[in-house]
Amino acid sequence: MLTKFETKSNRVKGLSFHPKRPWILASLHSGVIQLWDYRMGTLIDRFDEHEGPVRGVHFHSSQPLFVSGGDDYKIKVWNYKTHRCLFTLLGHLDYIRTVQFHHEYPWIVSASDDQTIRIWNWQSRTCVSVLTGHNHYVMCASFHPKEDLVVSASLDQTVRVWDIGALRKKTVSPADDIMRLTQMNSDLFGGVDAIVKYVLEGHDRGVNWAAFHPNLPLIVSGADDRQVKLWRMNETKAWEVDTLRGHMNNVSSVMFHAKQDIIVSNSEDKSIRVWDATKRTGLQTFRREHDRFWILAVHPEMNLLAAGHDSGMIVFKLERERPAFALSGDSLFYAKDRFLRYYEYSTQRDSQVIPIRRPGTPSLNQSPRTLSYSPTENAVLICSDVDGGSYELYIIPKDSVGRSDVVQDAKRGTGGSAVFIARNRFAVLEKSTSQVLVKNLKNEVVKKSSLPIPTDAIFYAGTGNLLCRSEDKVVIFDLQQRLVLGELQTPPFVRYVVWSSDMESVALLSKHTIIIASKKLVLQCTLHETIRVKSGAWDDNGVFIYTTLNHIKYCLPNGDSGIIQTLDVPIYITKVSGNTIFCLDRDGKNKAITINATEYIFKLALLRKRYDHVMSMIKNSQLCGQAMIAYLQQKGFPEVALHFVEDERIRFNLALESGNISVAVASATQINEKDHWYRLGVEALRQGNSGIVEFAYQQTKNFERLSFLYLITGNLDKLSKLMKIAEVKNNVMGQFHNALYLGDVKERVKILENAGHLPLAYITASVHGLNDIAERLATELGDNVPSLPEGKTPSLLMPPTPVMCGGDWPLLRVMKGIFEGGLESADRGGTVDEEDGEGDWGEELDINVDGMENRDIEDILAAAEAGEEENDEDGGWGGLEDLELPPELDTPKASANARSSVFVTPTQGMPISQIWSQKSSLAAEQAAAGSFDTAMRLLHRQLGIKNFTPLKSMFLDLFNGSHSYLRAFSSSPVVPLAIERGWSESSSPNVRGPPALVYDFSQLDEKLKSGYKATTSGKFTEALRLFLSILHTIPLVVVETRREVDEVKELVTIVKEYVLGLQMELKRREMKDDPLRQQELAAYFTHCNLQTPHLRLALLSAMGVCYKAKNLATASNFARRLLESNPVENQAKMARQVVQAAERNMTDATKLNYDFRNPFVICGSTYVPIYRGQKDVSCPYCTARFVPSQEGNICTVCDLAVIGADASGLLCSPAQVR
Amino acid sequence: MASMAGPDHLFNLRNHFYLGAYQAAINNSEIPNLSQEDIVERDCLVHRAYIALGSYQLVISEIDEAAATPLQAVKLLAMYLSSPENKESTISSLKEWLADPTVGNNATIRLIAGTIFMHEEDYNEALKHTHSGGTMDLHALNVQIFIKMHRSDYAEKQLRVMQQIDEDHTLTQLASAWLNLAVGGSKIQEAYLIFQDFSEKYPMTSLILNGKAVCCMHMGNFEEAETLLLEALNKDAKDPETLANLVVCSLHVGKSSSRYLNQLKLSHPEHVLVKRGASAEDNFERALQSFA
Repeated sequence: MLTKFETKSNRVKGLSFHPKRPWILASLHSGVIQLWDYRMGTLIDRFDEHEGPVRGVHFHSSQPLFVSGGDDYKIKVWNYKTHRCLFTLLGHLDYIRTVQFHHEYPWIVSASDDQTIRIWNWQSRTCVSVLTGHNHYVMCASFHPKEDLVVSASLDQTVRVWDIGALRKKTVSPADDIMRLTQMNSDLFGGVDAIVKYVLEGHDRGVNWAAFHPNLPLIVSGADDRQVKLWRMNETKAWEVDTLRGHMNNVSSVMFHAKQDIIVSNSEDKSIRVWDATKRTGLQTFRREHDRFWILAVHPEMNLLAAGHDSGMIVFKLERERPAFALSGDSLFYAKDRFLRYYEYSTQRDSQVIPIRRPGTPSLNQSPRTLSYSPTENAVLICSDVDGGSYELYIIPKDSVGRSDVVQDAKRGTGGSAVFIARNRFAVLEKSTSQVLVKNLKNEVVKKSSLPIPTDAIFYAGTGNLLCRSEDKVVIFDLQQRLVLGELQTPPFVRYVVWSSDMESVALLSKHTIIIASKKLVLQCTLHETIRVKSGAWDDNGVFIYTTLNHIKYCLPNGDSGIIQTLDVPIYITKVSGNTIFCLDRDGKNKAITINATEYIFKLALLRKRYDHVMSMIKNSQLCGQAMIAYLQQKGFPEVALHFVEDERIRFNLALESGNISVAVASATQINEKDHWYRLGVEALRQGNSGIVEFAYQQTKNFERLSFLYLITGNLDKLSKLMKIAEVKNNVMGQFHNALYLGDVKERVKILENAGHLPLAYITASVHGLNDIAERLATELGDNVPSLPEGKTPSLLMPPTPVMCGGDWPLLRVMKGIFEGGLESADRGGTVDEEDGEGDWGEELDINVDGMENRDIEDILAAAEAGEEENDEDGGWGGLEDLELPPELDTPKASANARSSVFVTPTQGMPISQIWSQKSSLAAEQAAAGSFDTAMRLLHRQLGIKNFTPLKSMFLDLFNGSHSYLRAFSSSPVVPLAIERGWSESSSPNVRGPPALVYDFSQLDEKLKSGYKATTSGKFTEALRLFLSILHTIPLVVVETRREVDEVKELVTIVKEYVLGLQMELKRREMKDDPLRQQELAAYFTHCNLQTPHLRLALLSAMGVCYKAKNLATASNFARRLLESNPVENQAKMARQVVQAAERNMTDATKLNYDFRNPFVICGSTYVPIYRGQKDVSCPYCTARFVPSQEGNICTVCDLAVIGADASGLLCSPAQVR
Repeated sequence: MASMAGPDHLFNLRNHFYLGAYQAAINNSEIPNLSQEDIVERDCLVHRAYIALGSYQLVISEIDEAAATPLQAVKLLAMYLSSPENKESTISSLKEWLADPTVGNNATIRLIAGTIFMHEEDYNEALKHTHSGGTMDLHALNVQIFIKMHRSDYAEKQLRVMQQIDEDHTLTQLASAWLNLAVGGSKIQEAYLIFQDFSEKYPMTSLILNGKAVCCMHMGNFEEAETLLLEALNKDAKDPETLANLVVCSLHVGKSSSRYLNQLKLSHPEHVLVKRGASAEDNFERALQSFA
């Protein structure tokens, strides 16, 4: 049981959940009805008008009403908004036990000790029906949620089901109320509106409670015989199905759960019991120490229950509703119902992965609590409370599209919690010994480690680390080093641990607290919530976004928090991505909520002192509000706040706070109030801005302060002006002050005289030696001339000369507001970019330097190479044994060592290269294996190759490319590893494949293309080099399929034609002085099998050469062939001209050894035509033809094979051998 | 299975060393509160790290006569590697040590003996001293010796012993990666995952990068291997394995390998690749002779 809320009060006899709001009504034995907010845990209201206990209470499903019934025989209908009892329904003659609104009609059903059940119309405020038949107290009565039925329970030991169909018809039909009123009396005893449908007998004592199933034809009842009975009904009858025994005292109340297949009952035996409704077995019992239970209530929508007892009530859930989930990159794994599901954030695709429970298995408190996922192994750990804490390990099959419903046999184990700590390792907590077992995916224990603190839960804390939780503390423990990496005191029971994606920060969530700490558990901030914290996730900026029961909130790294938005129902955040919050709701559905992140992004920018960012947000003025201003002020950014505010008074205050005098003056002018001027003056004085001080004083006509200001600034002109003003205003005191400040004795005397203080005037005048005035005054005073003190030397009181006259104080340092700073840095954006650009340049320079260094190195290397080449002859490494020696030669000597008396060194195994060499009949593989002689023999046999020198580098490359080098143990020799060809995930180990070869067919294709390109652009030497290298590589190429073999063979002939052609063309260019031979070679070239564009070029050149040599007939032949090949326009034009020229004079100036009418091949070394029918010999490899005299020589085309030698043919694929 | 208590102070140092972060091992060797035993082990690791970095003379001069036996053994290794021309005398003094019953059983001496005899390609002699194991280092060395002898069956047995001692030990993981690479097939992927795990858990070293690259090569993915190796080259431009593997990789992707090869020849003329290449050339000439 998860208690959500508890109250202490008088005995609770009635309870009702509000269908929408988090409210519950509790009616008490004392007569008070309480309205609680169980989410906030506050008493909202109390209604105290009943006399004596109130036993029944019920909320209306849509109106702001509730009904109550008490021992004062009264049914009261209340409006909770206006806090008023709207009216009272009178009629019952004894205590009222229960009251209930109808879900649809304006009816109330009530059950009373007067043995009747009454149905009331609360709109007409009349009783519409009285259901009689019970012959003892009716303890409870309620409407069926859908049908026209009422169920009641009575101490007469029966449960009755009443049919109220007739009553409904009457209501629906427009029959008037008056008719019904008259009818009512006749109905009172044996009316027809409601008739008893079934009487359910079976209880041996009085029945206290009966309730319908929300959607099945079932009734459950509880009685003083301590039994709970389950009844079924159909159209015609009802019968007892089963009895649930277990309560030790009277059963008070019993109900079906709204969402699950369970029955909940409570009793005077101080227990609440949960029963499986299908199997009719007890599932759970919750006991209280001293309180008898009296009433139960089920929330109509949510998974909530409430129970009233002797000293209050509790609101509770039977099990947690938080779906277990685990996040992995873009995907979320979570458990819903009996399936593991998968959700992809980017596509918002949701799919079922595997079933994790068989259908029909009991689910109460068996559902997964936590989930841990290993992406590499695709394994999921599911922890639940089954058997007091256990885990299941599932490996998700690769091809699981998830349609299969076969529950795989998971690997199981018991343990407090289990969590992956590495790709293929998970830790299981053994609570009793405070140890963790590290297990592999076969569920075998790999390692045991005792934990540094008594731990009751473990969480992931980075690879190989665990976060261990005890009641008031968490530590991060490195399992390998067995070291505590960090430790933190926490409020009781951290429930969830949320790591930021970079694993640098962690949020520890407990019931009412969030702690943000670094990865070493250094406390960053603590946040207290009055409402339960539910979930959280880190956003990309390092802000922690979390939910409470009813809010989405944020927490900045410094601990500042705020509300983002409110929630109707609790959600569990799984991921935050930009403005989108992904969450799971209580039904296990994935949702994406878009939030307004402006506020916290702004605060974050302020916090991180990213003023440019702040600035741009201010400019776009996306946020405002008193809260933000207060925040800015509080955080010491009044000057920033200043820019949000329109209200002059607030502007003024902020300006003063930030010392921004000019804004303050502007605001003060606008406001124009004495107080503001005064405060402006104070601030201006503080800053020494005397101009503003003067202005402020002038505005408020504060002459005293003004004169003092003028005095200290030495502004005597203004001071005397002020004196005049005072005179005009008849302000004697002010006038006198000013005169005193000015040191103007005459004026002072005059003032005193005018004010009638003649004695004072006299003294002043005489002291300061104004004798004539003194005499005049003395005469006026007559006898009253005061005596002057004697023996004192008077001096004139003159104000000191000010150190500095007027002007504002020079301020030592103009405080640069961060705001201006922000502006500047925003401007600086551009320059920063420029700097970046320079950086790039710098880097480029570096690269240049590198390049030079490399070149240097190259030089050195080249030199070294040269040196080595010189040394080559006396080289001769002894390292060949490794490859060549048969294993027998290396038989170990018998070990004679004492230590190893039983140990016999195993014989060496066969190196893989040797296996290759034994297995293969392909020359390339032999070469890769290092068996060069075998390779050569093969090539000789297959292709008649005798000249291997051109193949040397290929042999060496193949050999070099056949092994990789693994540095294993430090300072020990490196391990060469044979690289095999054709690896796939499913290759079995220890079965050796053929060697990986450095040449493949696709490379040759590339080479062919660049050969063509070189030919087109006329780089014949280059082209020849490329084609030759193809020809030289082909004997060492291996392909997989027969089709490819044909392609390889085709390639040989293609390339051979080009090699021959290019060789002739190059030869032709050498023979400048032999035009005849030149023409012949050009002509032969056109008979090589070339690509059309190349053929055109060859024809063009042959045509040109012959035309120049006046062999017009031959030239026109080339021209015609050229025209046939569909050339480009300028080539065609030239060809046509040649044809035209030739037509006029179809002769040849010289006789060439060239007859285009007669088919021929060209000898590859003498370059003469071998016409059809003449004898020839050919190269066994490249198939070039030769005149018979060449037999036995090395082929001049491929430079490899012996002309006319016997050969079995190209073998370049294992497919040919099979 | 191992159930241990108490913090392992040398864990990080050892890890750095095994994973080829030698400088990091040296830099982080000042650890407070070490027991006498730990101090000797620490010093051995530090000096072995110096050896791995090629600072043989430093090791030879720093370890004096008074130093503990294991350190003396480490010094022998430094001497052996620093002057191949004097290796006979080094080996004979090694043999003297081994014959001495008081110190001959010391794990470090046996480890060094195994290493030196492995260099001598005298696997029989090497195993004579190492086969009985005793430390993770010795077992790991055995795995390597057996791999060198192409006896993966024996290597696997050694590995199983290591797994029983501590399956998650860095050396166990490394050794199983070596073996996985040696037996090939689907095991290559497991080897890759092991190196991948290391790269996620610890700072990248050229040893880890090379390990990953070798796996990639064996899986036929030479492009990725090349990328990894270039990253390794950035870390250490003279690392012989990086250069050697780059030679192989370049050959497979059809690029020129001569620069890497020349660099390797210059900086590490004794490297296997260089030796193999030279012997292969010889071999070629010899084979050519038979056709002349």
